[in-house]
Amino acid sequence: MRRLTEHDEAEINSILSREDEILPSSGFAVSVMDAVRREAAAPPPIPFPWKRVLPGLVVAGLALALILVGGVAAIAQLGKVTTPQLSMSMPPVPPTIFHGGIGSAAIWTVLALLVAFVSVKLSMRVASRM
Amino acid sequence: MNASASDDQTDVERVLAGNISAFEGIVRRWQTPLVNLAYRFCHDRGRSEDMAQEAFLRAYRGLAQWRKDAVFSTWLFALATNLYRSELRRIPARTVSLEDIAEPPDTRPADRGQEDTAYDRDSAVRRAVFALPAKYREALTLFYFHDMDVATASRSLGLPEGTVKARLFRGREILRSKLPQLLAVPHLKEA
Repeated sequence: MRRLTEHDEAEINSILSREDEILPSSGFAVSVMDAVRREAAAPPPIPFPWKRVLPGLVVAGLALALILVGGVAAIAQLGKVTTPQLSMSMPPVPPTIFHGGIGSAAIWTVLALLVAFVSVKLSMRVASRM
Repeated sequence: MNASASDDQTDVERVLAGNISAFEGIVRRWQTPLVNLAYRFCHDRGRSEDMAQEAFLRAYRGLAQWRKDAVFSTWLFALATNLYRSELRRIPARTVSLEDIAEPPDTRPADRGQEDTAYDRDSAVRRAVFALPAKYREALTLFYFHDMDVATASRSLGLPEGTVKARLFRGREILRSKLPQLLAVPHLKEA
């Protein structure tokens, strides 16, 4: 490939600096100003309500942490109960957390319903304020 | 500070104070350069006006972010260039490949004047620029748009001057290699 000479550069400069100018259409400025006025008249975007969401996020984070801790504890318990020789032929023995009786299940169910109720009430209250 | 720069500053202050109509002064002063810059990016008249309108809207939204240490037009061109580049990346302009840009045949009829020949050559070179890879095309476009001012072109592109110079050199080299016959034509006297 031949290298670029000064003459080539001058030639390219001469051609490309002569590019024709176009004029905007007659209504361009008016159309831009219409768009600007529409923009100015539009209400500002609603900022995300971080302050209201934060308590919910904290509660959700705590719940997730509890579930994780519970899950890890259950797995650890399962490891203690299950013997390696029997693990291939027999189903693993469920941890005690899963068979705590009807009383325990009822407590968990009530707790879940209570959390659901509170979260629905809270979200309805937040929505009614906006 | 020249008249245009002080007019810009006054208009910006009025807009920021709540007088939206003052923005019209900015639009009227800069509409032709912004539309032309957009046209050099996309080579489509309708699209260039759409892109320029969007650039003005973005300028309006970000007017408070203009720091007065730079001239308003520098800020406006940098904003517009940024927008045009991303717009062209989103929806590329219709281009032909560099390989497909045919040089005009050398067997010209005797009755064709020098002006016709120059016109063919110029349009082939411009089409070739348009078919260059984006980084070279953008550097060349901004350099010639800003009257061959590397410093202004590099500010508009947000790149160091050295990078812009290297891209200009490489872009011209590609043009030279793709259009050897055209650029070997003796330089014609300008009209």
